[in-house]
Amino acid sequence: MSDPVSDSFLDALAATRTSDGGFGPRAGLPSEPESTALAALALDDQEARAWLAAHQRADGSLARSLGSVTNEASTALAALALDGDAGRGAANAIAATRAGHLESSSALPFDDDLRGWPWTAGAFGWVEPTAWAVLALRVVLPGTTDAIEEGVGMLRDRECVGGGWNYGNRIVLDEELPPFGQPTAMAMLALQAFEDDEVWRRGMAALRGLWRQEAAGGLTLAVATAALRVNHDYDATACAAALADNFDRTRFLGDIVALAWAAIATGTGLGRLMINDP
Amino acid sequence: MSHPVDRRTFLRRSAIAVLGVTAAGLGAANYVQRRRVPWDRDAFGPLGEARVAVVRATSYSHGLEETVLDGLRAVGADVGGARVLLKPNLVEYDPGTTINTDPRLVAATVAAMRRLGAAEVIVAEGPGHRRDTQYVLTATGLSSALADVDAAFVDLNTDAVTARRLRSHYTKLGSLWLPRSVVEADVVVSMPKMKTHHWAGVTLSLKNLFGCVPGRIYGWPKNALHLAGLEPAILDVAAAIRPALAIVDGIVGMEGNGPISGTPVASGVLIFGNDPVAADVVAARSMNVDPERVPYLMEAGRFLGQADLEQIRMEGEDPGQEATDFALLPTFAHLRVGSSAEPAPLPEAPG
Repeated sequence: MSDPVSDSFLDALAATRTSDGGFGPRAGLPSEPESTALAALALDDQEARAWLAAHQRADGSLARSLGSVTNEASTALAALALDGDAGRGAANAIAATRAGHLESSSALPFDDDLRGWPWTAGAFGWVEPTAWAVLALRVVLPGTTDAIEEGVGMLRDRECVGGGWNYGNRIVLDEELPPFGQPTAMAMLALQAFEDDEVWRRGMAALRGLWRQEAAGGLTLAVATAALRVNHDYDATACAAALADNFDRTRFLGDIVALAWAAIATGTGLGRLMINDP
Repeated sequence: MSHPVDRRTFLRRSAIAVLGVTAAGLGAANYVQRRRVPWDRDAFGPLGEARVAVVRATSYSHGLEETVLDGLRAVGADVGGARVLLKPNLVEYDPGTTINTDPRLVAATVAAMRRLGAAEVIVAEGPGHRRDTQYVLTATGLSSALADVDAAFVDLNTDAVTARRLRSHYTKLGSLWLPRSVVEADVVVSMPKMKTHHWAGVTLSLKNLFGCVPGRIYGWPKNALHLAGLEPAILDVAAAIRPALAIVDGIVGMEGNGPISGTPVASGVLIFGNDPVAADVVAARSMNVDPERVPYLMEAGRFLGQADLEQIRMEGEDPGQEATDFALLPTFAHLRVGSSAEPAPLPEAPG
């Protein structure tokens, strides 16, 4: 049975497809890997998958390069979106890469053995791309335990004091930095099925507070709804209602990534982000 | 009113000599010695006279539009018929401090630009820490402030992008994706918050331009720029965008552990410039920071804008006389005007 809220997200998303079968970050913009991978998940869409497969490099990754900067972070989302060998190829590319090394210091204390994954090749590891990578590996290549453990360890290490995550700095120059809703939700997607873990419990508690504080943000609400649902949390229904209300009022300001996450969070696409390992 | 700035607090050194001395003590400034002229000569003309106005302003509520209008006129802002892009500093939201350019100043500037004849005024930013721009826009009050003046906002993190080959070469970036809204604007106005910065010393209109670089490619935070070298990246990004105007929000600035975790400081000034380098040099002086000790500012003065006070036509207040001591982290104590402190080694900046 179709759900009218989910259908409104799906219909709005489907209407933004570009002529090459992919999806851009805003309606009318050229297709890009991240928005196309999320749309493929949300819509269970073969055209979007074909776009992703056509843009995979020989090592399975998807990249956007210019000058000395290469962004490969969306490879993890493509791994989740693609089927069969294409998806495993993307996941293998993730397992084979890590963020660059930055030495821990008194100004920036962290475990520098746990690199995680970066936004751009060779850069420092951050919470969001690391959460994507952990989720993709746990779903697509659960046997890559070393990589998964490193990613989970990195997320534990960067947890904000008291619980939750921001973009990835826990303490800078003796200042404890606060958590944000959206990266906290991303981390909780990656850490699903860790219910016996203190980090998981603190993260869920933080998320329940943060999505309410940050309910003005469609992307935050969308990812939070997805995280609450996959973790079977009682707050998922309330968060989804806030998400629908935000969309009715703002259309998420035209952000296709937020719209795709909303469609995933409230639709059947979320099933592909579920972790079934014990 | 025009008058010369008191130059006693500035060391009379050529830019290259300054950089040689400073770089010897500052590991972070080593980039300036790698290449004698790290920019394409045909891309940057001779530096002309810059105009900067320091205007007393103690409130965001009373007569701000008139104040902005006066400041823009004082520096000869010519925006008639132009498509103007205002680039405020909007990084993340913390109700306890003053991270961002005040929305009331942004709205007042929209109105002032229209009165000066701008054909179109848009406000654009790509927040550097928060991916959820809609949240930051709303929480900071910028969304409602812009609605009050019927101004459009463009999220530079999701805007269409254009590849731009760099004409300066302080980093190895080579090229940058830049938002089409920025590239197509006739006049880009950098509108930073006046803040100290825990990796760069001060963050003003040049550093503010990091927000033009799209996060969906360079990440949140825009760590690829830090990896390229923070100060070199400030120079290359600023040289790629080359804003025509700067308006520095120092009505309430941030001192100490900026740009996020610092403390509000009521410095009571707005600084206008028709040259972002000149505006930043004067703004730094208004913070009681010696701009000649900020390597990236002095390097920018070689090709991008005017850092020589003799070439800066000052309007309004004397920044030296009106300066407010912005508290500096110990690693940047040497930046204080008249300080004898030695530069301290800086940790690597992750973002």
